[in-house]
Amino acid sequence: MDFQPDTEQQMLIDLVRRFVREEIIPLEAKLDPDASELAPEDHARLVEKTKAMGLFGIDIPPQYGGPDIDIVTRTLLAIEMAQHRAGLYAPCYGTFGGAGLAQIFEANEDQKERYLYPTLRGEKKAFFGLTEPSGGSDPARAIQTRAERRDNGWVLNGSKIFISGADRAQYGIVFARTDAAKGRAGITCFILDAGTPGFYVRRVVHTLRSSSYATELEFKDCWVSDRQVLGEVNKGFAVANDRLTRQRIPYAAGCIGVAIAAHEMAVEWAKLRSTFGDKLANRQAVQWMLVDNEIDIRSARYFTLEAAEKARRGLPFRTEAALAKLIASEGGGRVVDRAMQIHGGMGMTKDLPLERWFREMRIRRVGEGPSEVQRMVVAREILGSSLR
Amino acid sequence: MKILVPVKRVVDYNVKVRVKSDGSGIETAGVKMSMNPFDEIAVEEAVRLKEKGVATEIVAVSMGVTQCSETIRTALAMGADRGILVESDVELQPLAVAKLLKVIADKEQPKLIILGKQAIDDDMSATGQMLAAFLGWPQGTFASKVLIEGDKITVTREVDGGLETVELSLPAIVTTDLRLNEPRYASLPNIMKARKKPIENLKPADLGVDPAPRLTVLKVNEPPKRQAGKKVASVAELVDKLRNEAKVI
Ligand SMILES: Cc1cc2nc3c(=O)[nH]c(=O)nc-3n(C[C@H](O)[C@H](O)[C@H](O)COP(=O)(O)OP(=O)(O)OC[C@H]3O[C@@H](n4cnc5c(N)ncnc54)[C@H](O)[C@@H]3O)c2cc1C
Repeated sequence: MDFQPDTEQQMLIDLVRRFVREEIIPLEAKLDPDASELAPEDHARLVEKTKAMGLFGIDIPPQYGGPDIDIVTRTLLAIEMAQHRAGLYAPCYGTFGGAGLAQIFEANEDQKERYLYPTLRGEKKAFFGLTEPSGGSDPARAIQTRAERRDNGWVLNGSKIFISGADRAQYGIVFARTDAAKGRAGITCFILDAGTPGFYVRRVVHTLRSSSYATELEFKDCWVSDRQVLGEVNKGFAVANDRLTRQRIPYAAGCIGVAIAAHEMAVEWAKLRSTFGDKLANRQAVQWMLVDNEIDIRSARYFTLEAAEKARRGLPFRTEAALAKLIASEGGGRVVDRAMQIHGGMGMTKDLPLERWFREMRIRRVGEGPSEVQRMVVAREILGSSLR
Repeated sequence: MKILVPVKRVVDYNVKVRVKSDGSGIETAGVKMSMNPFDEIAVEEAVRLKEKGVATEIVAVSMGVTQCSETIRTALAMGADRGILVESDVELQPLAVAKLLKVIADKEQPKLIILGKQAIDDDMSATGQMLAAFLGWPQGTFASKVLIEGDKITVTREVDGGLETVELSLPAIVTTDLRLNEPRYASLPNIMKARKKPIENLKPADLGVDPAPRLTVLKVNEPPKRQAGKKVASVAELVDKLRNEAKVI
């Protein structure tokens, strides 16, 4: 198997790389080191360019107007898009557009009109409300938010934590228990509009991402109609299980992109910096750090492209996606850490993007399922379903 | 009107060029290669002329190793219609390239040939001029503005201390300066379309040209390292050093 890009993929990679270098990085140099947004006029100007490239809406499926490229090519491009200071959580500052929530593609026609299409047009933003104070790794057991039947609809009571962007979203999806006796088969997914009576954003939760924060939500006798059920009652987890798995691939790609950028900085610095009369690049201790970076990056790239290739061919890729997410987030963290070490004091400063990558990369080992849960997914595959 | 655009594969402008340890040339193994930026401007200008309805066909030509076909693909993705690859394992110097282009021009009969004013690898700035001599065509080099009206082409040239405007009759040679235009980004649909555009494969022998180098490179050196600065204690000392050491005043 050979994961070398073909001519067209290479041209697309070059195109995005050039865009990052010539459009994103010069603008970024003038922004606050923790910024996650461009000035609106810059954003609009760059969106015109990505539209002219035919790459706007990069994570939108072709049948919804996204570019007609397969998931392997998308992954290769996602690796490029992350190679700048804000690239892990705000690749190219969103100028390639976004699909918003993957789950909303599973909506019915009425819901698509009200939520999906406005989101694709960039008119609405959404939040994803799964994690609760009682736990996020195993939401099927942990979810305590209840939804009870009332007046052709449902009444929600409970709370959520770590929900990104809920204070700035027009709507979101919320998972709640509709049948207490049934465990995993008793969870329903609801679409909730901001401003629905009884729905409160209680507080902002600050994390390692300094320009962005999560929120804590509360539902107090919050009534939603049957029209707001996403998918089927008691089948909340059936909603887009495949999409959740699929999301791990771009998540891994972002980690790889940042790792590549950090590694390139470390290589350049090692060749320039002298201590005790010789270049860092001539010290075996430093050389081995660079080799270890190379190992982490190459293996993450290989695993992630393998997952993408399986997804492209319509084969099961759950295990591959879990491994990709695991290896890219853990390896990415090590690469950034080594790059900081090689840079010494400079590596700790906000003059360089390394310290931001370091903080944000740390979240990646917990977000979208902690490393241990990814390992569990793989263990189940190895040991068989008897473990369930 | 047909336009011929020669495009050269060079070390990418973002790469920090390194001299080979034996001084015989620069390191190209594993180094990212791209289209010469001045040639991108040439392709862009041709594509704009086609969009304006002035040009009807754009032919991109590249010469050198097999991978030059990638450079042609880039030109095709920007809007060129077809490509010609002249494959050669022998290093092609400007004189050989100009001779080969002359034969291609005789065959293709373009009204206009747009080249970069120089390639960023060897900075020779020679191919366009030599080609004009071989063809006996007028040349407008270092163009920052190009206007075609009927059988005439007006070229604004960037010369020391100002702009010079020349009028040439077609067929003619134009070489591009940096400020002629800003090349567009390629696009996904055009990259996919480029896949179907034809590239003709030739060898120098097919064109009856002996490409053997006429110049021998004796040695390639790194530019001298910058000397460390010196601190001076007073303006008088500064002036003295500028006059007697640096000899600049
Ligand atoms: C910045 C940020 C943004 C977030 N945004 C969102 C959001 O928008 N929407 C949302 O729903 N959630 C969001 N989350 C929540 C995130 O998905 C959860 O934090 C994550 O799923 C882990 O859940 P938890 O924090 O409850 O940890 P727990 O489930 O309590 O797990 C704690 C730790 O226990 C270990 N562990 C868990 N299970 C196992 C096991 N089976 N075997 C061994 N060890 C195990 C792991 O190390 C894990 O980190 C966000 C989190 C952060 C930090």
